[in-house]
Amino acid sequence: MPSIGEIQETQLKEQRPYPPCRAACPVHTDVQAYVGLIAQGRYTEAFDLIRSVNPIASACSLICHHPCEQECRRCDVDEPLAVRNLKRFALEQSIEYRRKRRHAIPQSRNKSVAIIGSGPSGLTAANDLADLGYKVTIFERNPVLGGLLSSAIPTYRLPRDFLQEDIDDVLAKGVEAKTNCEIGKDITITDLMNQYNAVLIAVGLSLSRSLPIPGVEGPDVLLALPFLSDIAFGKKPELGKKVLVIGGGNVAIDVARSALRLGVENVEMVCLESAEEMPAWEWEIHEALDENVKITNRWGPKAVRRSNGRVEGLDVVKVKAVFDESGRFSPSFYEDQTSFIPADTIIITIGQMSNLSFLKDTKVKVDERGRLAWNESTQMSSAPGVFVSGEVITGPGSAIQAAANGHRAARAIHLYIEGENVEAALVAEEKEKIAELPPDILEMIKKESRADLKLISPDVRCAGFTQFEIGYDEYTALREASRCRACGSGAVVKPEKCVACLTCLRVCPYDAPVVTNKAEIPPERCQACGLCAPECPCQAISMVGYDVREVIDTMKGIVGSVDPRREKPVLVEFYCTYHVGVSKTPGTENIRQVPVHCSGRVGVLDMLKAFECGADGVYLLLCSEDPCKHKGVVSRMKKRIEYTQKLLSELGIESGRLRYFEISGEPGEARRRAAEEMSNQVKVSR
Amino acid sequence: MKSGSNLERVLASGQFAVTAELGPPMSADGHEIIKKSHILKGYCEASNITDCQTAVVRISSFAAAVMTIKEGLEPVMQMTCRDRNRIAIQADLLGAAALGIKNCLVIAGDHQKFSSAGRLKGHPGAKNVYDVDTCQLVAIMKKMRDEGLQEGGDKLEVAPKFFIGASWTPAGDPIDFRPINLKKKVDAGADFIQTQGIYDVEIFKSQMEKARNLGLHERTAILGGIIVPKSAMMLKYMDSSVAGVSVPKALIQRMAKAKDAAGDDKKKQREFQEQEGIKITVDLIKEVLDIPGVRGVHIQAIEWETAVPEIVKLAGLYPRPNIPEA
Amino acid sequence: MIVGEKKPFGEIWDLVKGFRNVHVLGCNTCVAICHAGGEKEAESLASMLRIKASQEGIPMEVSSGAIERQCEPEYFSPVMETLRTHDLVISTACGVGVNFLADLIGNVQVYPGINTTFFGGVPKAGVFTELCAGCGNCILHLTGGICPIARCSKTLMNGPCGGTNKGKCEVSDEVDCAWYLIIERMKQLGTLDKLAEIQPPRNWSPGPYGGPRRVVVEHIMDIEEQEEKKAQEGGR
Repeated sequence: MPSIGEIQETQLKEQRPYPPCRAACPVHTDVQAYVGLIAQGRYTEAFDLIRSVNPIASACSLICHHPCEQECRRCDVDEPLAVRNLKRFALEQSIEYRRKRRHAIPQSRNKSVAIIGSGPSGLTAANDLADLGYKVTIFERNPVLGGLLSSAIPTYRLPRDFLQEDIDDVLAKGVEAKTNCEIGKDITITDLMNQYNAVLIAVGLSLSRSLPIPGVEGPDVLLALPFLSDIAFGKKPELGKKVLVIGGGNVAIDVARSALRLGVENVEMVCLESAEEMPAWEWEIHEALDENVKITNRWGPKAVRRSNGRVEGLDVVKVKAVFDESGRFSPSFYEDQTSFIPADTIIITIGQMSNLSFLKDTKVKVDERGRLAWNESTQMSSAPGVFVSGEVITGPGSAIQAAANGHRAARAIHLYIEGENVEAALVAEEKEKIAELPPDILEMIKKESRADLKLISPDVRCAGFTQFEIGYDEYTALREASRCRACGSGAVVKPEKCVACLTCLRVCPYDAPVVTNKAEIPPERCQACGLCAPECPCQAISMVGYDVREVIDTMKGIVGSVDPRREKPVLVEFYCTYHVGVSKTPGTENIRQVPVHCSGRVGVLDMLKAFECGADGVYLLLCSEDPCKHKGVVSRMKKRIEYTQKLLSELGIESGRLRYFEISGEPGEARRRAAEEMSNQVKVSR
Repeated sequence: MKSGSNLERVLASGQFAVTAELGPPMSADGHEIIKKSHILKGYCEASNITDCQTAVVRISSFAAAVMTIKEGLEPVMQMTCRDRNRIAIQADLLGAAALGIKNCLVIAGDHQKFSSAGRLKGHPGAKNVYDVDTCQLVAIMKKMRDEGLQEGGDKLEVAPKFFIGASWTPAGDPIDFRPINLKKKVDAGADFIQTQGIYDVEIFKSQMEKARNLGLHERTAILGGIIVPKSAMMLKYMDSSVAGVSVPKALIQRMAKAKDAAGDDKKKQREFQEQEGIKITVDLIKEVLDIPGVRGVHIQAIEWETAVPEIVKLAGLYPRPNIPEA
Repeated sequence: MIVGEKKPFGEIWDLVKGFRNVHVLGCNTCVAICHAGGEKEAESLASMLRIKASQEGIPMEVSSGAIERQCEPEYFSPVMETLRTHDLVISTACGVGVNFLADLIGNVQVYPGINTTFFGGVPKAGVFTELCAGCGNCILHLTGGICPIARCSKTLMNGPCGGTNKGKCEVSDEVDCAWYLIIERMKQLGTLDKLAEIQPPRNWSPGPYGGPRRVVVEHIMDIEEQEEKKAQEGGR
């Protein structure tokens, strides 16, 4: 049950513009929040947050193209936050927790939905509909669930056991899965339309396109998807000594690297695009090059040369341009410049299309060009109650985009079954995005190098299909998570309480507030250090990322019962989770540890409350100026603590009972020393 | 004659005037006043009776002035703006005139904060008045004397005849405004001026020149204030802590030499310094009287009234002129 | 704005220790700005009272809150009923608020939590200085905008006195001599000759010495009240 504070905080967050990472994520994952939780060591809470919007979280943690990272505002400082790697870390830390949480959801609605296809959009829709209390049945023609996630993405990128966690989460809710069941063969869609209250077509793009060039027919010329799914289902495809992959996209890279791992030493890719134009993700291109995949740019396939029926190689023609003036895909060639690439196996990886044969002669209309007819505002096909989602309607996209579409389809289905106006309720929300970091604030942000995942060396990893990226150890994860600037989780002023006293502006290390007749703190400037909220004399400032009253309201519980016969003093230790918190030092019996995500948020009232609840002493572990994320927090905190000491002295409480320690360098030892010093010096107050 | 006081008569005769200062005791017994009157009688035209100087409660200037008249010493009653409002001031002025007091010097008065210094507790928490300031009070006195009217406009049956004095700090901050500050007091009606203690004669000379350029020396009688130094420490203290007093290093050194000449004997150190102080005073008096526009000196021997006769004699200012009343 | 300072805690405790159900009411206007009595300070005082009560073994309930302003009755309406359930309300508003609340609340005692000091401005962060004395007859046009009543320790109209020491007042070397400032300012403005004029004795009665003051802005009074007033005046 969320606390009142948490509910208010969520509502506040939804009223504010999204940080660019969240805005870029198709399912609007609250990146800042879960990275913040990771930084504080709250891994299972991070997991809950991730999973609450993303049913294919494990898959994404390995294969998502992380649009969030591309939009990360750290790009203007140094390098983007390694969000995907952190997601993976959180999930790896939460496996036991995750499994324990699984439970069946009562199918309270007595309504059922059939979902054709168990890829990202199908699984997501199944997840959502199960949560809403529907009886859900997934039909999957492959022997395993997952769609292309299991049948096309190689296991060195997405190991089966990772994906299985996502699948098991969904199945555990009570979703029925019928594998090896093809619609159109084993059961028709018309049957489904009669038996279920709604049907969802989420079949994706399961057919590989071929090339209409001479020599394509015959042995040794393979298509991408069958090639990859053969590998996926344990059938080792037959390959020669030199494999030539036609294509420049991510699937082509997967195909090339898979061929390597099947023992082919000589693997080459040829594509129309130049190195810069290649649609494949940059990092995947680099990984392929590291594995000695040769990439030949700017040549177009002309014909497959055969000799005695076997493939000898590919005749190619030089590319003039790939896109026309309006940017459309319209390759043009220098017909007189030709060449020949020798190869004994050719794999065509130039794109995918959907297999809609099962819709022939049914109420679900397909247009002359073979595309599903559907209504974008309702996600419904031409047949009432038959919905569509994923790549089958959007065209090629990412897994997470398909998942987002799956969410939308599930909502549409639910509204339809409830008899609501689907179109009206499905209107997409345009979320405002926080602007880029202003130059004066950019200057104040310390450069910190990004921790990339360690990769198994190319020669070792190409020996098989084992995962080649090694997940973070805890220390690295905590440090990387600390690089997050917490965009959008900062201060919000309640105008009705603000008296424009300028205090927030004066304590802000970044000069973020703009004060006219009221103070306003622009989200693109605020760095969420938390200094202003406890200083506002009218208590008009809330923080989007956390409840400013959280510590005060829970202090009684934090301090707990204070044994009057105690020998050691009861101490409350506020420690900053950024630098200090990186070393996990277990507390001793008399110390109550309170992690704070930037010590700037600890206010006079918090410190007083600790004493009010019976603590003998309070101390703050501040990151010293050098490791501190924010310039100016330490000096302000010192003044705040000195002021609180003055107040305490008016109560006859000696200044030694409230102290601070500045921690630089290795935190573990310093923390232990601080704890020891306080435990020895602070007398138990009677 | 505005008041017919001895001070006024001597000044009117064109001779140098000498005024001294007498500090009343913190006591309900006026003995001290009588004693000091006898010491100063004959060595000055009139003597200032300080009025709760540094805001310390002593017998009021008014009461002490009445006592000194009985002893034959003409007083200059002091009236501070700090302790009384215009009603009480005018009432006291009428009373003073009725009891024969003829000279009255208007002064702003040290802030009550000063009353608690050293071993004294004083009354730093008293509510000060400052209903009127010095310029305004000079003008009030002039209005009473020359128009026979109270400040509010009501008629006085008989007008008090005062010789009106005001103080001037020629070397005070901001120094270039001080001549204008003097002009205001003169415009308001100040008949005579006593300056803050002078040690740096050059600064005073320069300020006097400015005053002369404004023609002030002809409209009012400026008496140069000389504070009799007792020790090098006192000089140093005044230089650093007393507003508007700056002491040239040479003087401090001169006094220090005198102290050194006494060796370790504390009693001798005091004696030598006091002697030197008297010498310094005499030198200063001579220099100050030399300045055109200066009409006399105001000798302040704080709690050391006994030094005054010797100083006046050594300065060649004894005997004082005897100008009979008209 | 009105500036105040927190009363020393010991003083407040002595006043308050006999009560058992105390509410600390802050004011989120002037006294919040000088960090003396806003919502945060009210909560801080309440926390300290609870700590002290616990130290002394006194069963005192202390709650806290704040309203926008304590100088107008409308702001009290939402909280007045609750306030009346306590046996003491400590108002950390300025003296105006304490007076006002005491007038409105009825049978509950209202004690001050701060000392109201002056009308002042904020020359730099954290520094509040007295600039106006509320004298009722502003003469700042004569002194280059520097008030000789609020800022001269002797309220001289024809200053300076002889106590100016290096531009500072004889009262303290942290206090600027107002007349020193006035002279420098008017020199800058080229209006120094104005200072040669003698300012006559001041009529102090528009100030507090004339008795408690009252300002009426008739055209925003309640319509009924305005009519009543007119009728009364007509009758005279």
